[in-house]
Amino acid sequence: MQRSPFSQLLPGLLAVALLLPGCYSRDDLKSDAGNTKAAETIEAAAGKAPAASPEAEPSATTAATGPLKQVNVFLEVSGSMEGFMPKTGADAQNTRFQQHVAQFLSDVNRSASVQRKTFYRIKDKPYRDSYQQLETTVREGIREPASSTSIPAILDTLVSHYYQPNAVSVLISDFIYAPRNAGAVPYIKTDITDALNAAGRSDLAVSVYGHTSDFKGAFYPAMKTAAKRINRCCDTDIPYYVWVIGPADAVRRFDAALLKKAPGEQAHFGVKYSAPPSSLLNKFQNQGAWYYGEKDASKRAAGATYHTVAVSEVSAQQPVEFVLGMNLQALPTLYQDLGHLKANLQLTGQDTDAKIVNVFGATDQTRASSGPEAQYTHFVKIRVTKMGKAARPLQVILQDKRPMWITQWTTKNDSNINQVGAKTFALSSLIDGVAAVTTDEQNQAPIFQVPLTLQPAD
Amino acid sequence: MQSFFRFLYELIGTPQPPADTPVYRQIVFPNIGLLNLGISLALVLIFYYVINKAMGVATFNKLRHWTLFLVLNALIAFIVVVWQAKAQQVTDHSYIYWLATLNAVYGLLFYFLFSVILRKGSTNASTTPF
Repeated sequence: MQRSPFSQLLPGLLAVALLLPGCYSRDDLKSDAGNTKAAETIEAAAGKAPAASPEAEPSATTAATGPLKQVNVFLEVSGSMEGFMPKTGADAQNTRFQQHVAQFLSDVNRSASVQRKTFYRIKDKPYRDSYQQLETTVREGIREPASSTSIPAILDTLVSHYYQPNAVSVLISDFIYAPRNAGAVPYIKTDITDALNAAGRSDLAVSVYGHTSDFKGAFYPAMKTAAKRINRCCDTDIPYYVWVIGPADAVRRFDAALLKKAPGEQAHFGVKYSAPPSSLLNKFQNQGAWYYGEKDASKRAAGATYHTVAVSEVSAQQPVEFVLGMNLQALPTLYQDLGHLKANLQLTGQDTDAKIVNVFGATDQTRASSGPEAQYTHFVKIRVTKMGKAARPLQVILQDKRPMWITQWTTKNDSNINQVGAKTFALSSLIDGVAAVTTDEQNQAPIFQVPLTLQPAD
Repeated sequence: MQSFFRFLYELIGTPQPPADTPVYRQIVFPNIGLLNLGISLALVLIFYYVINKAMGVATFNKLRHWTLFLVLNALIAFIVVVWQAKAQQVTDHSYIYWLATLNAVYGLLFYFLFSVILRKGSTNASTTPF
């Protein structure tokens, strides 16, 4: 039988036809990913439809992300606070305390992040005020100052009677705690711990915001060695504090909603944060022979993050440098502060000399970049010159270290406040007391950690 | 498959810049390798079975004609790499051209091997190139 030339070519053509579709392309991968995603959403929708009505869905998410149920704002109005809120005289001068606290109260009152706002004056015990009444007190001065209020007693009241899930208490005070006598000074920490622990709240968290203000009035030092009161004080600024007290989750959300842009200093105790979004960046200030060790790194899927460094060659002469991008936007400004990060970011690894060589923030250039670095607010550059023979974990950890300002704002003797400056008596002891309740001292949890893997290239 | 092409193409060293290594190993190498094999085979088939058998052309079976296809194949192999590098958005680097040159050399090799295997079935060119 005579075969046509075409039929003789057929096997060859078939072979070509079989080979060509075998080629991979990114479009294939993308559309594959798109298909599976679409399929998932269809499945998910099909699974949900009979179970939950459309209204039920958002309510489930509001518990975690919706507004807080309640905030109780407490303003201490004892005599020692008068200098912050002097009665308006003819000169109509006001203090920075008045400006800041009036603004803060207004922000709280206006905020959509909290459903119910209640305001209290603290004398010997909290007295309910309306927003207007408290705002007037701040602006026009304290009418009937309370003799003195003890910080532990206030804290005890707040955690015992005003502590609810999804609600916070905000206490504005100078936090000058004068123990009964000099012999009681070493027990300040214990007093605070006991007060906060009175109700045995397991998820208690405290955020402390420190501010300073000019002060026009009588100053009542905690150490009365020189004088019981310093009249017409002060030439120096005096610190005052805003403490946010409540369950860890509520404190975190209140901080984020209302105190994100708080000026001044801050410290946080017992507040838990979720790990920030992060990724290694393979084309941003990278150096040396390394690449993403993830199996699907070649797909370069949109929004994918990478945490494995595969190193093909490394030595002292040819160091490997890689940059970890992190988005710390959801964290308090303290943990976004480069100074704090540089001092407290740690790298732990095994069999390697990897170390952090630089911590830097996003610049206009990185933000405008078309690369993945545009998504990150902070960058950690790590250098390696030697490493283990197999994959080893490497962790970037922000340790929960107390910020420096607390020690700097602490004085052991405030009897001569004009010389001492803007410091608070035994502040670090107060803070020690807070930390003892909110943190497990044996096993201190870090603020966040980013686990990486350092492995030799295969 | 991937490891075979990886072996083939990493004879001139690992991909540069190193950050693009996963893309080269998992996408670019298999793509250019398969295309190179496929195109070499196609050109051999066209030379021996289309021109010198089915079409019955009697004046295109000399060594110089075979060489023309050989060079054409090498050129295509070179261009395929440059095109793949662009398509996969790897970082511009002289490595792309080294890889393209290597692929052209493999193109010559594949074309020669396919010729040796398949030339016997051709009517007019069964003794080309030798």
